[in-house]
Amino acid sequence: MGSLRMTLQTQLVLRALLEDPATQRYGLELCELAGLPSGTIYPILARLEQVGWVDSTWEDPAVHEEAGRPRRRFYQITEDGAEQARDALAHAYRSRKQPLPGWAARPVSDGGVS
Amino acid sequence: MTAMRRRSATRPNRRRPAAPTLGSLLAVARTHHPDADTSPIQHAHDEAAVWHEGQTRRSGDPLLSHCLAVAVIVAGVGMPPPAICAALLHDVVDTPCPPGRVSELFGQDVADLIWAVRTAELSAIPLGSLTFDHARPAVQPTHEEAVLAIRLADRLHNMQTIAFLAPAKQYRKARETIDVLVPLARSAGLTDVSRELHDLSAAVLRPTTSASAVAPRLLTLLTLLLPAPQRARWQEEWHAELATLPTRRTRIRFTFRVLLGAPSLSLTLRRPACRERR
Repeated sequence: MGSLRMTLQTQLVLRALLEDPATQRYGLELCELAGLPSGTIYPILARLEQVGWVDSTWEDPAVHEEAGRPRRRFYQITEDGAEQARDALAHAYRSRKQPLPGWAARPVSDGGVS
Repeated sequence: MTAMRRRSATRPNRRRPAAPTLGSLLAVARTHHPDADTSPIQHAHDEAAVWHEGQTRRSGDPLLSHCLAVAVIVAGVGMPPPAICAALLHDVVDTPCPPGRVSELFGQDVADLIWAVRTAELSAIPLGSLTFDHARPAVQPTHEEAVLAIRLADRLHNMQTIAFLAPAKQYRKARETIDVLVPLARSAGLTDVSRELHDLSAAVLRPTTSASAVAPRLLTLLTLLLPAPQRARWQEEWHAELATLPTRRTRIRFTFRVLLGAPSLSLTLRRPACRERR
């Protein structure tokens, strides 16, 4: 199993996939869910598929024929993938909380930006 | 193979080949079989004309024009007169023509061919089991080769005139054509037929409006960056996404973003597979 870089975009895609792990979603739909620009997530999906976190299949002919459009490629998070993704997301979240060296003394902005 | 399915049509503004005539059919048959007796072909044509009298396709063309077109394709791949007769008569079963009449007039061979054409399961034919040898047209094709030639010709003409079918049906036909018939035609050595079947089906599966043809063409080019075995999948996936985008602007933006991600996708796909998938 290869490594997976937990970039911000990857995290967003994983969150989108975990929103409802049983639902199959196509690329554009995932872009929208993840809040990413359309067309940007294929490398991420390919990588997730490669490490086995995500499975993809072609759309059921009955559905796309009825709709009269080309068949879509659907992605779904695997059981194993869902577990690992939750861990990875939690880990990424925790490590983000840890201040960078040298930043420790800096007070967390309490007023926020307005 | 039903009469319903036959009644597809060409959109009038689409380029279509001139309707074949008995004369052109005989000419094609003679180029491959100069010494053959062509009277059965004329006879079969007249017989088909009787039974399909008054029947039309959705285009308004007489149904007989479909029989002739299929026969011309069959003759064009070098099939002998009995196969050409069967091609002409392949739809008379759907007419009030008495069941024994074809075998009585044209022989059991032709009747068997028609029956096989209408019942053969193409997906059951192993690829590469049939080959057409253009160099030796005089060699008699086997029964199975004749059946395949007629089925392919039938589909080819239906695909040439698919425009008026309901979209759902167009997709189903195009999908089946590209998945089953194109590989069969290719492995049988019918290169031109397979190429035309492929192009016609691909046009249905990936419809593109001419006004925004830049995006789909660019997407197709982009797939060249990917490892060869993976190209078809991504090409199909992207075109499917593209087809659902409403405006030219969103399509261009989508394509641009795919372009930006393509090197990274290519790298990912070329990485040694950490887990064998498919």
